[in-house]
Amino acid sequence: MRTSGCPRVLVASLCLLLAFPLVTAGLPGQESSTATAAVFRRYADRVMKIEVIETGSAAKATIGSGFFVTPRGHIVTNYHVVSKLIHSPERYRAEAVEAGGATHPVTLLAADVVHDLAVLGTDLRPPAHFALRPVTVSQGDRLYALGHPRDLGLSIVEGTYNGHLRHTLYPKIHFTGSLNTGMSGGPTIDDVGRVIGVNVSTAGNQLSFLVPVDRVAALVERALAAGDTAIAPTLEEIGNQLRDYQDLYLRGMFAGETKMVELGPYRIVTEPAPFFRCWADATRREELPYETVEHRCSTDDYLFIAGDQTSGVIGLEHELISTRTLNAPQFFALYTNIFGRDNTPSGQEEHVTSWRCGTRNVRHEATPMRAVLCLRRYRKLGELYDGVLKVAVLGHDDSGLVSTLTLSGVTFETLDLLSRRYLEQVSWR
Amino acid sequence: MILEVLHPDGARTRHRLDVLPLTVGRGLGNGLVLDDPYVDARHARIVFDEAGAPRVEDLGSVNGLVEDGARHAGAIAVTPGAEVRIGRTTLRFRDSDEPVPPALVDHNAVPPPRRADLHPAGARVAAGARGRRPRAVEVLSRLVATTPGRLVIAAAAVGAFAVHSWLGSYERSSASGMFASALVVAIGVAIWAGIWSVASRASVQRFNFVGHVGVASAVVLAGLGWSVLDEWSSFIAPDAGIWSVLWVVVGFALAAALIAGHLALASTMTRRRQWRAAAIVAASLWAVGMLAELAEDDEFSDVPTFSGVVKPVGASWLPMATIDDFGEVMLELKESVDGLAEK
Repeated sequence: MRTSGCPRVLVASLCLLLAFPLVTAGLPGQESSTATAAVFRRYADRVMKIEVIETGSAAKATIGSGFFVTPRGHIVTNYHVVSKLIHSPERYRAEAVEAGGATHPVTLLAADVVHDLAVLGTDLRPPAHFALRPVTVSQGDRLYALGHPRDLGLSIVEGTYNGHLRHTLYPKIHFTGSLNTGMSGGPTIDDVGRVIGVNVSTAGNQLSFLVPVDRVAALVERALAAGDTAIAPTLEEIGNQLRDYQDLYLRGMFAGETKMVELGPYRIVTEPAPFFRCWADATRREELPYETVEHRCSTDDYLFIAGDQTSGVIGLEHELISTRTLNAPQFFALYTNIFGRDNTPSGQEEHVTSWRCGTRNVRHEATPMRAVLCLRRYRKLGELYDGVLKVAVLGHDDSGLVSTLTLSGVTFETLDLLSRRYLEQVSWR
Repeated sequence: MILEVLHPDGARTRHRLDVLPLTVGRGLGNGLVLDDPYVDARHARIVFDEAGAPRVEDLGSVNGLVEDGARHAGAIAVTPGAEVRIGRTTLRFRDSDEPVPPALVDHNAVPPPRRADLHPAGARVAAGARGRRPRAVEVLSRLVATTPGRLVIAAAAVGAFAVHSWLGSYERSSASGMFASALVVAIGVAIWAGIWSVASRASVQRFNFVGHVGVASAVVLAGLGWSVLDEWSSFIAPDAGIWSVLWVVVGFALAAALIAGHLALASTMTRRRQWRAAAIVAASLWAVGMLAELAEDDEFSDVPTFSGVVKPVGASWLPMATIDDFGEVMLELKESVDGLAEK
């Protein structure tokens, strides 16, 4: 399944649950049990539908779910459900909708773009709410996700807890159950109503992801601490969150002892941090007069900015090309073609500028290479950039290495630092 | 008085007006025979009037005599500098005492023959030496002027595209791509030359197909040469502003040369007017191209453009930057995208 939130560089294609997707997927039949029915009866009134409405046309723009976390009517949902309130506050407003259809205005009190969470304030005084406490669960435990799939009414989905994801910068719970569009922001609980996490995204085929409850608790605490003086988070704050998060994780990359991989005559960095996942693939086909070996590393993370715009992807891609039959001009025609391929993340004009690229032939120690940096900036998120550094090692007539470092949603300082370190790491064996 | 005849194909002949009357027409019995289909068999006569001054008389021709764009009935008295058009031929009257500028000094002049050269064998050697002497340009212009030469240029263009396609292909079936590329060039040049040939037939009564093929092939060949040069230059000195300027200049020159070359074969314009027309057409083409490019530059795109050309050349031959130099490039890019974000 591929919904509108997928960056093309992500092979694992973890996709956000957004409103009005183009892809339709049926809900697989759930094993019916009296326990599920009991959980639903008991906790259904703590879950609300969240609607973001375009003020001009009074039409629904986004639908998601949310749940009460305090007796004073605070609701937790996903950042991506209400992101329009931050990007265009003058054009959108949000409402919480009860099961009976009554609507209540909500205000945005706090947002955490990195963990995809938001806290909303309402005038409601709910009879019951979910408490946010650390919970210990074991792999295989039965969990129940609540939410409003595709605006079809409040639903309950059974599934199992399968631990935390390992290859992510920030924690995510692997939930085996079918989360669907519209359930974003709803709670996933155990049979006694303890919140395990917040529904956030799916990769299809019952492979779904939750934001762990401790992150939720931290954000709610922050919102409550601000009390009545809380003001809606701005784009600048969102930009700062992205920046702090990137800096925290990326500053140490490629420094000191770095893990290296040997590809043909070249030595190059791999697996720059434990949260990267790497895999390799070789192409040797009879009809092609050349061979390629690919080696890629990427985080499973991406951050939702708004609409189709995502950020936060960090990836490495190496491609070794070698030939025994092509002559030098032919091989370099091939090399030029592969080097010129576009593997940059996609972007929308509303959120990012066009790319600007610079090229130099660079020598570091004994290794000559052609280096290209393409850069673009986020328009409304303060000083954040996307950078793609591409390197082609020169000097051989029958083999070449094209290496790409993709840094998305980072400060220029981080980008500059990591690009320099990266260039220093490319070398002959 | 001298009569200068400007023929429709651009040729120019001169005749001394000593013995008048002189009859002018397409018929072979005339004193001056013109191969112009718009001229009558007996079209006009040049005679001395009572005062001894020359004048042109119409002999009842279909298209008559035209002076200053107006048709004259009867006769026109002519003085030095006068021009009378009959059919598509222009008769220009000039004074035989008209001053001419002094001769230019030819720095490539052949030195005066030595005694040995007077020997028949030596004379042949000298003639051979004289044949080899002309500069490349002269050789080329001579080549362009003959049918075999033009065919050689056409073959060279097709061959060059075939080789270029072969060197740029990295599939197993490179031969078919090579053949296809050569065929595309051959057909393209033939169609283009064909259109010009039809235009030539209409204006100067000659198709001149091979000539137009020669002109088109020469320009196509030069264009290919330039694109190869450009690839290498962008590899050796990436992002150098000079190349984008040169692109404009060379593109303009090639387009102008193409049009001027065709006009030389397809019109009776003077050299100067041919180039002027060619420059105007080329300039307007480039203006349109530049405007389109400017508009595109402003458009948003999430696909980057960069110079990703790599070439097989020893790294020791290349000017190389350091990582710090690359840092400067990054800083420039930052300023550039910051500017974009502010817009």
